[in-house]
Amino acid sequence: MKDLIDRKTWEAVRHYGGAATEEYYRRLKENRLCATRCDACGHVAFPPRDFCPKCWAKAVSWVDLPKTGTLFAFTTQERVLRFAAPEVIGLVEVEGAGRLFAHIDAPFESLRLGMEMELGFVEISAELTVPKFRPRTS
Amino acid sequence: MKPLITGVGAVPVRRQLERSARDTATAVALQAIGDAGLEPGEIDGLFVTPPGLSGPPGFMWSCAFAHHLGLTTKAQALVECGGMTAALALRSALDAVTLGRSRAALVVALDARVVDVPENPEDVMGFVENAVVGLVGLYGPYDALFGVGAPIPYYAMCAQRYLFEHQATEEDLARVAVTLRANAVDNPLAEHRKPITVADVLASRPVSPPLKRLDCSTFSSGAAAVVVTAEPLSRRSKGPPVAVTGIGEHHVPAHFGDRRASWTRFESAESAARQAFSEAGRTPGDVDLAELYGVFTATELILYEDLGFFPKGEAARAVREGLTSGRGRTMMNPSGGRLSLGHPAGATPLYAAVEVVQQLRGACGPRQVAGAKVGLVHAEHGMLDGSFVAILEGA
Ligand SMILES: [Zn+2]
Repeated sequence: MKDLIDRKTWEAVRHYGGAATEEYYRRLKENRLCATRCDACGHVAFPPRDFCPKCWAKAVSWVDLPKTGTLFAFTTQERVLRFAAPEVIGLVEVEGAGRLFAHIDAPFESLRLGMEMELGFVEISAELTVPKFRPRTS
Repeated sequence: MKPLITGVGAVPVRRQLERSARDTATAVALQAIGDAGLEPGEIDGLFVTPPGLSGPPGFMWSCAFAHHLGLTTKAQALVECGGMTAALALRSALDAVTLGRSRAALVVALDARVVDVPENPEDVMGFVENAVVGLVGLYGPYDALFGVGAPIPYYAMCAQRYLFEHQATEEDLARVAVTLRANAVDNPLAEHRKPITVADVLASRPVSPPLKRLDCSTFSSGAAAVVVTAEPLSRRSKGPPVAVTGIGEHHVPAHFGDRRASWTRFESAESAARQAFSEAGRTPGDVDLAELYGVFTATELILYEDLGFFPKGEAARAVREGLTSGRGRTMMNPSGGRLSLGHPAGATPLYAAVEVVQQLRGACGPRQVAGAKVGLVHAEHGMLDGSFVAILEGA
């Protein structure tokens, strides 16, 4: 069943995503969380695009996002596909890129709004690695 | 031509449809056509929603349904825009009549949201395959990988921010659910009619904190229909015709929550309301009743504020003081709203329109809002990424 889910997920990611989506996940495989920055206006697009959704210029460059952020909101979800239920998920404010929706690797009770968070990675299949955040330790 | 709503129909909202999608859609369609005082052969416009937003595909459903009903039309389409779907099917009918392309347009909205995991193991693989692809399509190739299977977590985080930013409490949220339930007691179309208390809501199963089971609308099924006509056909209406005096629509470039904007104040709702009030020459203070797309308790509070009924951060106090439930200027969701009427998403905005039309006609019996002259319908999609507001008034 996991094989089927992984295969169908990857097919769907490629169908509903595109070249920029595949490049985003290729970089996540190397444990790099990236966005694209417009060469013309400097707007950082997340999720990444192969054009600028602010000024529609065609030239954009890939940039690494900061490895820390602050916790904007968090909750749990009951129906989970890949993580143990109830999964903690949240929105982490990353400077310059807005808020990222991600898996939170910490117990719900330990979290507070505005906490400093640090980036990590979870491999979910051969093709796909996704970002996660946990409270900053250092 | 000035379009008027002259006929309405609906089946009770329930967990599952009592009849097939086609037979349910047919029943509400014929009910609305009869209510408008028309014969089916006089309908020349058809706008439908998919026969279930989360069910099997609705490809060519408007064609199949027109064939089934025996309708010849000059304007026809299947409309889809998430939770706003049925509102935009209605707007399409209003537009078609305004432009003179149709003189009598039928809108039929249906949803059958309960999709059970198949019992037969041989069917499970296919079910999972469709679900995985469907969820990536719906939530996008980023969020979906965290296993988002319903929009609840987004709205839960929106609720968390509202409580945090406005020092509101989980009791404040619970009171919204209790108030809406009290409205539904007298509505035979409502799915949930048994009165509840604040303690019941607080004790209900946590779903996505801070939201508990009774803070959430239910996955429901149902169908509603509306007939929009131009003169002279409007004169045949059995009940007083209702005019749509203002419409506002606003979509921001976001899908399930703008990741850079506020999560407690929504541009789409504020802008759609401003447009609709301006077009109608009305203000929130003129509205006797409103049917809003508040599918969670916290969203209800946010909508009371963003649509202009109360200043930011004051909706919880308004609910506590009864200002949303009879003691204030505007009665909020006399139908019971999404939390108690039930929430067949693809049809929800049309249920909202049906309730407002019936209230303006004075046809709501024990739940009638006395002297209702001006009503408001709101719908949204994603997490308030888009909003639709219509002002309805007796013609
Ligand atoms: Zn740019």
